[in-house]
Order: sequence, then structure tokens, then C-alpha cells
Amino acid sequence: MIAFTVALGASLATAMLNVMLDVGDKVNRELKTYGANINVIPKEASLLDDLYGVSEGHGVSDRHLRESELGRLKTIFWAFNIVDFTPYLNAEARMSGLDADVRLVGTWFSHREALPTGETLDTGMRNMKSWWSIEGDWLSDGDADAAMVGALLAERAGLSVGDAVALESAGARRELTIKGIFEAGSAEDERVYVPLSVAQEMTGRPGLVSSVEVSALTTPDNELSRRAAQNPKSLSVKEWETWYCTAYVSAICYQIEEVLTDAVAKPIRQVAESEGTILKKTKLLMLLITILSLAGAALGISNLVTAGVMERSREIGLLKALGAGNAPVSWLILMEILITGAVGGAAGYFAGLGFAQIIGRTVFDAAINIKPMVIPLVAILVFLVILTGCVPSIRLLLSLRPAEVLHGR
Amino acid sequence: MYLLDLQGVSKIYGSVKALYGIDLTVEKGEWLAIMGPSGSGKTTMMNIIGCMDKPSEGKVLLGGVDISAESARSLTAVRREKIGLIFQQFHLINYLTALENVMVAQYYHSMPDEKEALQALDRVGLSDRAKHLPAQLSGGEQQRVCIARALINYPMLVLADEPTGNLDEANEGIVIDIFRKLHDEGITIIVVTHDPEVAEEAQRTVILEHGRIARIVENRK
Ligand SMILES: Nc1ncnc2c1ncn2[C@@H]1O[C@H](COP(=O)(O)OP(=O)(O)O)[C@@H](O)[C@H]1O
Ligand SMILES: [Mg+2]
Repeated sequence: MIAFTVALGASLATAMLNVMLDVGDKVNRELKTYGANINVIPKEASLLDDLYGVSEGHGVSDRHLRESELGRLKTIFWAFNIVDFTPYLNAEARMSGLDADVRLVGTWFSHREALPTGETLDTGMRNMKSWWSIEGDWLSDGDADAAMVGALLAERAGLSVGDAVALESAGARRELTIKGIFEAGSAEDERVYVPLSVAQEMTGRPGLVSSVEVSALTTPDNELSRRAAQNPKSLSVKEWETWYCTAYVSAICYQIEEVLTDAVAKPIRQVAESEGTILKKTKLLMLLITILSLAGAALGISNLVTAGVMERSREIGLLKALGAGNAPVSWLILMEILITGAVGGAAGYFAGLGFAQIIGRTVFDAAINIKPMVIPLVAILVFLVILTGCVPSIRLLLSLRPAEVLHGR
Repeated sequence: MYLLDLQGVSKIYGSVKALYGIDLTVEKGEWLAIMGPSGSGKTTMMNIIGCMDKPSEGKVLLGGVDISAESARSLTAVRREKIGLIFQQFHLINYLTALENVMVAQYYHSMPDEKEALQALDRVGLSDRAKHLPAQLSGGEQQRVCIARALINYPMLVLADEPTGNLDEANEGIVIDIFRKLHDEGITIIVVTHDPEVAEEAQRTVILEHGRIARIVENRK
């Protein structure tokens, strides 16, 4: 029973600690699938945006970012926190069968980018917009004669997968086959997507992009990061260094601006902030569950051990009568429980790994990375829990008088 | 010098005077019996002599040393070094074999020594039952294991509280024979008993009544 209680406590602790230590990444990745958290646009476009509240998305600006520079995103200080990024080239186009212009967007779908570091990164819309529901297929970057159309636009134009459609932009005309119709649940549902190279060719803007969406893992904002976001120059050198070397979204934006020519990076606020809060709360919850499960185990153990000592009071009294001191008898009981506890703890640890994976699968839809540091942590916790659990019974044991238990009055 | 010397020993539980003004001396090598009705203070007296309890008043000299003022810790040591205890209910550890039960006493005294423990079992005629668990032994055999355990550390004084209380006549005879042998070897024995036949074997019988010594009988032999 003691072994079982310890096993239960240890398994919960193991599961929670593993999940907790891994959950930062998991929750972030989970939230990331609901969109990018940083938007990068050219400097002047951003100025217009700020002055007139006109997003670059509403007009087609003649300011651009360079596609060839995008690999540099993975060279910033927090390169590892940049999970995905996708460029967009926007244009207005006339579509056969419709009076009004439609928004044509060139992008990466599943692009393999060769990084300046010599590595490669697989990124693109497919990763960034994993929640889009697609009828038909995602485009691939080599599909020069195909397009993806938003569900609302498709309905308006009476299009379905497999249909051909003619698009005309900046004087260039193209016949494209509709390979997929997507439902994003947002403004994108009114747009036509083609591979970036196709859009660049059609609009005569080779090597240029209008904006880049970046998905980055970030640290929750605090007072320092908020001040920095308003004006990085207001920080002292020391503060600036701390800020720069922490994965605040503002620091990452700053570093992005450092590597891209004439670019402005802005956090997409709501998403970035909720990520931090949710992460904090989730971790707190896990910590609470860990503490509660261990406290529960300690209580359980103390009941079981006390009952055990009471049951064996005759035996313990006898040992004392034979001349065993308090210390040896306490050790005897403690050792027995520690050995049982160690067995239970080991079993619990492995059960906990299982739990962690189940939690990972059901909650985060991903495997939980097993952290070796959980082993000593759980071992110490189990040890402390057992010791705590033994306190009442050792006290009982010390107060046990052989004369009273042995003559069974 | 007496081996045991009780001087005005009293034990008072609240309003109950379990023992009152006991004066008693026991010589080395003596075999003493204690009799008396239930509740007359026999066990209380044995507990005090056996260092498991302290008197409320009076002095207890064991081998010339006053133990009535000792701490619980040093009483444990005295018990370990000088006293052998035999119980009415045997008190064997049920998951240990007869031999291991004897060795437990060695363990807390000095070092477990299997050969010596086997010899002790042999003295009570149980060497062939060494590997048996208490549940596989008869009451008489269990009591003999208990006696072997009491003797293993060569105590100065053997205390037996109603050792035959749970035994039939045949086993009672065996236990008395063992006591006789121990007495012949010069071991000092104090036996509490309800049984006049057991008491008669001793040299003297102390009769307790209401916590006092009513009389002391010299047994003819
Ligand atoms: N721990 C105790 N607390 C209160 N009263 C006790 C305790 N131990 C013994 N007594 C009382 O002391 C008296 C003597 O008990 P005891 O020595 O066990 O008698 P005996 O062994 O002769 O039957 C009894 O009245 C008993 O109720
Ligand atoms: Mg009694």
C-alpha cells in the first residue's frame, strides 16, 4: 500500500514536472498554430499605417522587403525562437467572371530556405496556417499554373476545385487551375494565393515581398520589456543588455529590424500577450497539481505508516524490551519504508512518464520531451515526502513503552 | 551485597497504589517466586525490576547500582546488558524463524552469532526446530524459544511473568525443568505465577496483596 501511494504521488509529480518543464515549448507551439505573432513590413508602408491607420494590406505599396534577406531571420540572437516565417507579395488582380478586383497574394507554401548559417529551414503557409481547412490540396511552391482560392471568393465566383480561372495583374495574364479552396475564417477567405515566384513574375517585382509573418517563441512581457518596446534608448546599458538577451517579443522585433533592410517588425499584440499569460497560468496549475499530489501522498503515507506502527506495536515494544534503543528501532522502520518507497517511486516515475505522454498527446497533440533532471527532482521529492509522512509514526514509536504493549492490558 | 535490593518501592497510578512500600532483597543465584491475586501488583513489580518502568518512590539497587534514578536511555542499556525477559504471551516475531528470533536479541546486544544462537536453542531442546516460524511451533515450543532468547546474552537476572500461564501441564513440566537446570547453573530467576506447583519449585515465595508484601514463604526442598 505504501509503495502504491508513493508510486501514485511520484507518477503525478513526474508527469507534471515533465510536462511543466516541456510545456513552455508546447503551449507556445500550440498557440503558434493559431497564427504568427510578429508582422514585418517595409518602413514607409509602416509610416502610412501609423499616420492614416491604413494598413499596408489595404493598398498596394511600392515599398518592399527583399526575399533574399529573409534567411537572416535565423541569424538573430534569438534565432532558435524563430519557428516559422512566410513572406507575402500583395497585388490587385482582375479575375475572369468578376467585376471587382481581387487580392492576389504570392507566398511560400512549403518552402525550403537555405540559411546563411548553412542549415536549411522548412517553412511556409502550410506550417503557419495549419488550422485552415482545405478542400482539394495545398499548393506547392513549384505549381506555376495553379492557385488556391478562399472559400468566400470561390462561392462568389462559382468556382470549385479543378476549375480554370484567368487572372490579370499589371498587364500580365495567366490561366491557373484551382488546386484548393480554403476556409480560414478571416479576411484571407476573399483572396487568391499563388506561389511567390508566380506573383513576382506576374507583377514584375522579382525578388521582392510586401510583408513577412513571423512566428516566434517569446517570453511574457514585463515592465522592462514594455519600456523597451516604447523606446529602447530609454534603457540603461545594463537594462538594455538584459532586454536584448531575453526573448521578449519586442527584443525579437528589434533584432529582426537589425537584419532586414528598411524593415519594421511589430508584434501582433493580442496573440503574443495571451501566449505569455496562458503559459504562466498553465505552469502554475501544474506546480499546484504537483504540490497537491505530493502532499496527498505524504498524508497517505503518514496514515499507512502510523497504522503499520500501531499494528506492529507489540513487535516494536519487544525490540525495545530486548534493549533496542529508540534510534535503531526508528531506523528500522524508516529503512523499511524508504525501501518500499524507493520501489514505489521508481514504478511511479515510469508510470509518470506514461502519464506525461498521455497528457502530451491529448492536450498538446505532441510527445513530451523527457527531461532527465526530473529523476533527481522526483527522487528528492519522494524522499522528503516519505520523511514527512514518517514524522507522526516515528513520534508514536518513540512514545511507545514496552511495559504497556507487552503486558497487553 | 545483594543482587537485587528494593528499598521502600512504591508505584502509584493516580489514585491506585499498585505497589506500596516494598522492601525485598534477592541473593545472587536465588530462585524466587511471586504470587498474589490478580491486580496485586506482580507485573508492576516485575516491570520495575526489569527496568521497563520507574518506581514513584524508593530505591532499586541492581548489582549494587541504583537504577531508580536512571534515564530511559540508560535503563534500556541496563535491560539489554543485565536482564532476560520471559513473557506469558511469548512475544515472538511471527515472520522470523525460531533461530532468527533468538538472534534479534543478539543483534541489539552485540553481534548476531548463529552458532551461539543454535546452542541456546539446544539448551531448551529445540535445535531441530531452528528453521521453523512461530506459527509452526506449539505453545510450549514457542515459550522455549522465548527462554532461549532471554538467555542468549547471559543476563544477570532472568524475569518470567507467568511463563506457564498459557501452557498445558506437560509443557509446564518442561519449562519448570529448564528453570531447574538454569538454577543449577547459578542463574538468578524471579518467576511470577498463579500456580502453587510452579511456586513450590522456587526457594522462596513472595505473596503480594494490594500492592504490599503479605508474607514470604520459605519452600522446603
Ligand atoms: N499503566 C497503568 N495505569 C494505571 N493503572 C495501572 C497501570 N498498570 C497497572 N495498574 C494498576 O495497578 C494494579 C496492579 O496491576 P498489575 O501489576 O498488572 O497486577 P498483577 O500483575 O498482579 O495482576 C492494578 O490495579 C492495575 O489496574
Ligand atoms: Mg500481571
